[in-house]
Amino acid sequence: MTKIPEMPAVGRGFISNLDLPVVDDPSWTQPVPANERRISIVSTAAVHRREDKPFSWLAKDYRAFHKTDRDLVMTHVAVEFDRSAWQQDLNTIIPLDRLEEMASDGEIGSVAEEHYSFMGAADPVTMEKSARQAAARMKQDGVNTVFLIPI
Amino acid sequence: MCGLAHYFESEGLSTVLVGFVREHIEAIKPPRSLFLDFPMGRGMGKPNDPAFQKKVIRAAFELFDAPTGPVIEDFPEVIPVKDGRMGYALPPELILSVDDIGDVDTVLAEVTAEMEALRPDYDRAVAARGRTTVGASGLAIEEFAPFVSGFLGGEIPQSPRKGMPAIPLLKLVVEDLEAYYTETRTHRDGIDDLELMGKWFWEESKAGRMLLLLEAVSVASDNRVMLQIVEMSLMAPRFWSEGPLPGTSAAGW
Repeated sequence: MTKIPEMPAVGRGFISNLDLPVVDDPSWTQPVPANERRISIVSTAAVHRREDKPFSWLAKDYRAFHKTDRDLVMTHVAVEFDRSAWQQDLNTIIPLDRLEEMASDGEIGSVAEEHYSFMGAADPVTMEKSARQAAARMKQDGVNTVFLIPI
Repeated sequence: MCGLAHYFESEGLSTVLVGFVREHIEAIKPPRSLFLDFPMGRGMGKPNDPAFQKKVIRAAFELFDAPTGPVIEDFPEVIPVKDGRMGYALPPELILSVDDIGDVDTVLAEVTAEMEALRPDYDRAVAARGRTTVGASGLAIEEFAPFVSGFLGGEIPQSPRKGMPAIPLLKLVVEDLEAYYTETRTHRDGIDDLELMGKWFWEESKAGRMLLLLEAVSVASDNRVMLQIVEMSLMAPRFWSEGPLPGTSAAGW
């Protein structure tokens, strides 16, 4: 396992110095049975539909995209992560096809109409308002389960 | 990402996340987490490998069976990273200076010729995949190299994109340029190797050399945002290097 002290100097310094949010009273929502799960993906890859406004460098807002959207671009500010994988296969970071297959097979209930992307370089505390707005949209769509995938 | 999990959970939505930095997961304590010992940028592990991707998803979703939390599990399979770095990094000694620029028109001509040679394979890659990630900048492919080379004289050119200043646009054009090369090569040669792609683009291609010249211009620039790009490792991949780029502190964040 790659531990922070084993990382090279620049990245180690950055990752070590991040201010991590402290949650004093964390919530716990009891999951519904697997075959009732309606799942929305939340990504911090700063991807969005080609026609959407690019993310700013420390954006606290989000972009939504439809479960059938495949023409996505990425405007993430950071370059420390590999981009060649998602270039080859969107499912490497946003596994919409896999979830659709699992829904067809009855492993999960259904795939949400909308999925969401944030700018992972921004402080998550600044994203709270946007996250709650996205949650409201999810609930309107009958979503009860969120799959969070970083980049 | 871990912080977002708390917000969604508090809205009555059950969450599970996958993550690459175990120490952060342990500190922030999201309700359900699957630690992945993978390079960053590969949350489902392997492109074009549905079976592996589903293994990751199923391992994550099994955490919904936990009666209480927070729960952290380790995905049992490892995708190795090189020397503790979670992505490609330029060799620290590979640094160009503004003295290496020479004739900007020659730099541009070399990159243009290289890109034209790749174009048939790029078009085949797009046709085969049915999609491309190139185009975040909104510029045409033919505009990438001329726009970047416009910075090599030390001046900030006009942005051709309405509503977006030149330097944020430059960031997107650099991304587009790299994507044009790596989308082409991964398809043409049927390879999936982030280290090889990074080495080829940044250390061997004419486009990579042009961007290292741009980096040298940024270090020497008196424009605060141009300097910020190198201070924060936002352009050339030095985040996983063993030391800051000379002339910068790598402390911009």
